[in-house]
Amino acid sequence: MTATAAASAAAAQPRLRDHYAGFASRFAGYAVDLGVSTGLFMLALAAISFAASVLTGDSIHWNKSEGWVAVAFVAWQFVYYAYSWAANGKTFGMALLGIRVVRAGGGDAGAGRAVLRTLAFPLSFLLLGLGFAGIVLGRDRRALHDVIAGTAVIYTWDARSARLGFLHRDGPGG
Amino acid sequence: MTSPTDPGARARMPGRRLTEPLEALAQRVARQAVELVVEALDVNALLDQVDVNRLIDRVDVDQLVARVDVDAILDRVDVDRLVDRVDVDALLDRTEIRSVLSRSSSTIASEGIDLVRSQAVGLDDFIARWVSRLRRRSYSGPPALPGSPARHGSPALPGSPSLQAGQ
Repeated sequence: MTATAAASAAAAQPRLRDHYAGFASRFAGYAVDLGVSTGLFMLALAAISFAASVLTGDSIHWNKSEGWVAVAFVAWQFVYYAYSWAANGKTFGMALLGIRVVRAGGGDAGAGRAVLRTLAFPLSFLLLGLGFAGIVLGRDRRALHDVIAGTAVIYTWDARSARLGFLHRDGPGG
Repeated sequence: MTSPTDPGARARMPGRRLTEPLEALAQRVARQAVELVVEALDVNALLDQVDVNRLIDRVDVDQLVARVDVDAILDRVDVDRLVDRVDVDALLDRTEIRSVLSRSSSTIASEGIDLVRSQAVGLDDFIARWVSRLRRRSYSGPPALPGSPARHGSPALPGSPSLQAGQ
């Protein structure tokens, strides 16, 4: 592709920033977050187990069916999502996919909405997953927990900028 | 040194007494003669007469190389000691390998992320188009947040073909 043709193709790219994010981006972000948060939790359990074996000499074996492990996992999930959304509107997975939680009318979600969204998040699962239908069917692509918390998820990256970045790097001076 | 018990030693004594001064004299004469010859010799003139190219032509390089035992030479080379003497850090400082490597790593990471995002956006668009088709509605790209510049200032989204072209 010549530089001119590439520049024309780049100019034809839509700007995605501030547009509502779709189902695939959000689901991929959630899948990454689930992996990261679960991995970190397992790592923490292993660290505690190691520390306990060093201090007491007895090894600890964790069991998923133990109530307090499940409670600790739920608490950790709450902290992971609520803190991430309150601090900068995105979790690790969302940052990777270039999406962000904002107020429905625009602007930062804030701590209150982040906590409410985290609490309402399981509801979208509990209703046989129907809570997520709004992402596919709704005009604003908002899930049930978004509607409850007054939030929306938008793209924070720009396809056109990314394309121009490629051109800059691949160009004669780049 | 002669042994006192050697029976021929006494017989050889007069001859040695005569030959040693003569040898010394002959050596002095030879040395003087060589010095005289060397002084009289014009080396440059002699070299001018030597046809070096012809000399080189007569040298069979292949045969010369065949006689060289490369393995034996390499066996005598202490490679570890040689490598120890090479300052790799200084060598790398003289090149731009480090900056090139770091630039390449960040570029690969950035392009990888852009690729993942582009794939996800393409899939978003694919799902949205199919849902719109099932609902018999037109689809012109993802809607923008109210009040954002994207809603007012940006050109209309061209839809899926251009989105897919950007992947």
